Amino acid sequence: MPEDFDMSAESLDARYMRQIHLFGKEGQKKLRNARILIAGAGGLGSAIAMYLAAAGVGYIRIVDEDVVETSNLNRQILYRETDIGSCKVEAAEKTIHALNRDVEVDAVCRHINEKSVGNLVQGVDMILDGMDNFAARYILNRAGLDEKIPFIHGAVNGFYGQVTTLIPGVTPCLRCIIPTTPTWEKNAIIGVTCGAIGSIEATEAIKYITGTGELLKNRLLLWDGLRGESESIQIVNSPECTDCGFSESEPDARRFSL
Amino acid sequence: MKITVKAFAMFREVMDVQIELEFPAGAAVRTLLTNLTARYDGLSEVMFAAPDTLRDFVNILKNGRNIHFIAGLDTPLDNGDIIALFPPAAGG
Repeated sequence: MPEDFDMSAESLDARYMRQIHLFGKEGQKKLRNARILIAGAGGLGSAIAMYLAAAGVGYIRIVDEDVVETSNLNRQILYRETDIGSCKVEAAEKTIHALNRDVEVDAVCRHINEKSVGNLVQGVDMILDGMDNFAARYILNRAGLDEKIPFIHGAVNGFYGQVTTLIPGVTPCLRCIIPTTPTWEKNAIIGVTCGAIGSIEATEAIKYITGTGELLKNRLLLWDGLRGESESIQIVNSPECTDCGFSESEPDARRFSL
Repeated sequence: MKITVKAFAMFREVMDVQIELEFPAGAAVRTLLTNLTARYDGLSEVMFAAPDTLRDFVNILKNGRNIHFIAGLDTPLDNGDIIALFPPAAGG
């Protein structure tokens, strides 16, 4: 950290002055103490990372195994043309630090699978979904249930997207509402939709951490950018759900009381 | 009985965003989809991989619960149900 950077309480108060109005210095302190996993450093992960870093979240673990490609630049705002060919999470760390050097970034260049996920979710308060496939999302969903960590799900397709906050024992899990992997022949994607959905995911994280407002729980928000409309619909858990409805050790008991 | 159907994302490209329909008692989700596919050209191709087999991205929620965990297409309808048809986005 450059020596000229002023880390005094006064300077931090000034930096976050406009949002401290929303949740007080206590809320700001909670953000600084929060530990967040951003799973995937693509279009959604970019929006999430930038807004959480700007808001002063203290610790961001960002996981992705890819390198930056030219075709990423229409939506992945963490990267610049000069990052093409670089490891995504290392480039992400540089961008996050250029915005807010006070954020501790744990840049993990690793594939998210059943083997790696246990370490990846270790010690975090929330998991934010920046994945581009449901196989990985189901793995994160299970890990969140196992460790009782909230999982904020978001996904995009063209001008459409969906987002919801999934809290073990409180809400349905991802498998309850989307039981099987949806496959698409073509998956068009544009930055503005990643921005809309990623920004809502980051909003949910900030509300959860600071205890502000009402979470998007037991509701699925469906964003329709083509019509400029969104609607949130009720979602309920399924007692028969294979991921949250049963415990392997107690097959006759629900994993959580709801 | 009165059923409200809400369509999301790409389903909106082939059907109304919301429609209210009347069905006799005893109707199931299958009855509802037969009605909708007769009503909207192109919906059948979007929803079904084969007769009676929904495409894997077709999620149908009855008052918020996925019919996958109820009785699939045989899930009974009840007066006042809200049925949401939603193809989840998968990208990131």
